[in-house]
Amino acid sequence: MWLGLFTVDVLLAQSPQACDCLIKGTVKDRETGQAIVGAILIVEGTNRNGITDAEGRYKIDKLCQGNYTIECKIIGYKTVKASVSLVHSAEEDINLTEEEVHLQDVEITAHRVQSSLSQKTISLEGKALEQNQGQTLGDALKVLNGVTLLQTGASIAKPVIHGLHSNRILIMNNGIRQEGQQWGSEHAPEIDPFVAKRVTVVQGASGVRYGSDAIGGVILVEPDELPKHSKISGEANMAAFSNGRMGVISGTLQGGIANWKGWAWRIQGTLKNGGNIRTPDYFLANTGVKEHNFSLTAGYRNAKVGAEIFYSQFHTNIGIFSGSHIGSTSDLLNVIKNGEPFIKADFEREIERPNQLINHDLLKGKAFYNIGANRLTWTFGRQFNRRAEYDLHGPQAATKPALLFRLTTYTSDLIFEHAPIKGAINGQIGLSGLYQYNFTDGRPLIPDFDQTNIGMFLIERWVRNQWELEAGLRYDWRKLDIFKFVGSALSPRQHQFSSWSGTLGSVWNATEALSMRVNLGSAWRPPSPNELYSKGVHHGAAAYEEGNDQMQPETAYNLIGSIDYNRKQWQVEVGVYHNLIQNYIYLKPQAEPILTVRGAFPYFKYVQTNASFTGVDVDTRWEIIPKKLTHTAKISYLKAYDLQEKGYLVLIPANRIENTLKYNWTQVGKWENLYLSLTHLWAAQQKRVPPNSDFVDPPAAYHLWSVLIGGDWNKSIGWSLTAQNLLDAAYRDYLNRFRYYSLEQGRNISLRIKWNF
Amino acid sequence: MNRLHFSWALALVLTLALVTSCKKEEPAPEDENELITTVRLKFTENGTTTTQTFDWKDLDGEGGSAPTIASVGLKTNRNYKLEVEFLNESVTPVDNITEEIKEEADEHLVVVIPQPAGLLTYTYDDKDSRNYPIGLTGKIVTTSAATGTIQVQLRHQPPVGGVPVKNGTATPGSDDANVTFNVVVAP
Repeated sequence: MWLGLFTVDVLLAQSPQACDCLIKGTVKDRETGQAIVGAILIVEGTNRNGITDAEGRYKIDKLCQGNYTIECKIIGYKTVKASVSLVHSAEEDINLTEEEVHLQDVEITAHRVQSSLSQKTISLEGKALEQNQGQTLGDALKVLNGVTLLQTGASIAKPVIHGLHSNRILIMNNGIRQEGQQWGSEHAPEIDPFVAKRVTVVQGASGVRYGSDAIGGVILVEPDELPKHSKISGEANMAAFSNGRMGVISGTLQGGIANWKGWAWRIQGTLKNGGNIRTPDYFLANTGVKEHNFSLTAGYRNAKVGAEIFYSQFHTNIGIFSGSHIGSTSDLLNVIKNGEPFIKADFEREIERPNQLINHDLLKGKAFYNIGANRLTWTFGRQFNRRAEYDLHGPQAATKPALLFRLTTYTSDLIFEHAPIKGAINGQIGLSGLYQYNFTDGRPLIPDFDQTNIGMFLIERWVRNQWELEAGLRYDWRKLDIFKFVGSALSPRQHQFSSWSGTLGSVWNATEALSMRVNLGSAWRPPSPNELYSKGVHHGAAAYEEGNDQMQPETAYNLIGSIDYNRKQWQVEVGVYHNLIQNYIYLKPQAEPILTVRGAFPYFKYVQTNASFTGVDVDTRWEIIPKKLTHTAKISYLKAYDLQEKGYLVLIPANRIENTLKYNWTQVGKWENLYLSLTHLWAAQQKRVPPNSDFVDPPAAYHLWSVLIGGDWNKSIGWSLTAQNLLDAAYRDYLNRFRYYSLEQGRNISLRIKWNF
Repeated sequence: MNRLHFSWALALVLTLALVTSCKKEEPAPEDENELITTVRLKFTENGTTTTQTFDWKDLDGEGGSAPTIASVGLKTNRNYKLEVEFLNESVTPVDNITEEIKEEADEHLVVVIPQPAGLLTYTYDDKDSRNYPIGLTGKIVTTSAATGTIQVQLRHQPPVGGVPVKNGTATPGSDDANVTFNVVVAP
């Protein structure tokens, strides 16, 4: 992901005639220093606008005196806004010349974004990201409206966007599709959130730009751009949590190379160590986590070319709560009946079996070449994911994982962004390839496989005055070779899938305060190897699951619209979506159970249906006392429906409402930007579930309170103190698999300190 | 090293990354360690040496063909010795898991539950190092004629946080095996 910085040199005109002022300047990409051609500049609240010419220059005249916000946008960059004061001049000189006007440099950080303009995106960056660092990537993301978590205890959390998760959302880690074993509900993203300076959620199907799996949305994990200067700088982060007595330290060091203009580097690393998690009533045995991660980046760039190499390693050892280890359906029914774990533990840091040992390596290379105003970018990635799951069973378990997956993925993307046509049409054409192979050892679950994917896409966008239109098309082809064994004889199988994806969207900036966007997008997902070939008991879920090798790809058609109203003390954003998924794959309960040596297990088969996900997200922000007291609310409503069976779907997040009251102080001595906030979350009980689909009814609704105090000290140190689940409420969440076995974690007080140097 | 060399080094690293992609191993069949295919009940009437053997058997593991379950036939008013064995017969040679259970007797317990309760009485006849029963050997006493079932559970009860949890009851741990035999007690 490339981050750019516009330098907008704003020339302020002064004129006695109230409406004869002028703003002019140039727009540059700070990353490359190159002039940006075709950027649109809109003066909010007026009908005046301009477009940058071949030298990146623009001029907007006939403006009245006053304070303005100018908005600068161009495809591929995040829209930026700058405040400009057109001040009155004492001189009565009507003939304006550049020398006479007051020059004001406005620097605005702008990010080159990969997402569609007409799709709703929400980002977590700066303070908002820092306040949620230290736990998993999912824990940081869940503060965003429309994002919930699918959990296996407290340490394994997968993000859910608009009710979809796992293989139905895509994570772009530093511009590379994250390829772990996403199909598993207990397989969390193998990403160190401290690498990210910004995490963005693109809501809705985004198959054109990102390819397969982007059915529910995309999560973009983006590090900062490499520094421009040779001075060494960095940051140190520390987070301590009372629950699990978890400590996390993370540091970054970066700089350039003296006398080597354009070269830059960064090293980053994180250590995490936590012990048993505590619910309000008891500790959960074997719920510790240990993590050590690092990343290295080096790069060179000038106005014409640039290249960057990134390497990261992620290692984690996650203890799986011993009380969740069940051998049979009767074990599960017994613990549900008991209402709490049979074996209580004390605090312990040691991780025993069962546990997961996960390594993820990523090597990424990226290069760009500017040919005039055209740009060619090549991105290459190699990932190696090793997931070892250790069981409790038998003496062999001590040395050998019950399940071992080794997944290697190569990705390569070539993107050509063309120069604006007639100053209004921008676009890109891309070619992307993926080659992947997997080895599974141990318990039969998914076969070894090998797959190749080739995709081509084109996206064009047209911007004019208040209107932006975009359209795109993509074609993907995938070949999947399965190495299935019948006894010890290899019985290979081959599947070929192909699909078209499309996107059509529009943004209408109706007035200064009101904008609307609507997008119709599609995405596809070929069935994953477990949906095709799994056959066996899913331990922990106490279910016998069987795949179907005749499965067809899923196709999603997603209509998403949002209205954004932003006026003085009020900001309201309403997003509405309807996602129709054809051939939606799910596990359907069968009438007869499967009898095994561990007793009878409920029998589920992977089948396909048509499903719809319809929902509304509302975000409001009200400055009750300007710059002091703010109220924010997030409301999320979702209804998922099986259109063929005329019933509900399982594991859909319940509706929720969150209210936050925040008070800001500007300064108390060396303490600056102080704030105190109080948040209340209400999550409803999920009542829309199919009958007889679960061992127990979805848990009751719950209320959670949390408090946050924070600020900066002496400019270089940021700190915050948080109490999550302040009242130590005993509750369970429907999307946590451990709801059967235990309560959710109790009060958790955390202290975060960040030092910039 | 000058700038030019460094650029070349970077290009080389990128190329190497591409080239190293070629090494790859051959796919191999999965092997499930610790599969129990067979639960064997061996009844020996006191004072005799004849042993009756009844098997619960699922040679292809979970799913596939359904398990075959022998029906247990016992005589009224007798005393039997009951030995329970656990085998993996899907491999050659057959893996006798009973031996592993004996080695880890402190974290295993075999539970035998007759249904109805008056079908027969079962008592343990072996002990682990902490004086708790194991259940690989037990005694059965039959009285009047009846039909019913016996459920045989192998409980795996490993220590939690280094603390032993086995306490002689079925409660701690999880099922390694949980099978049910039909039983006929007749004169």
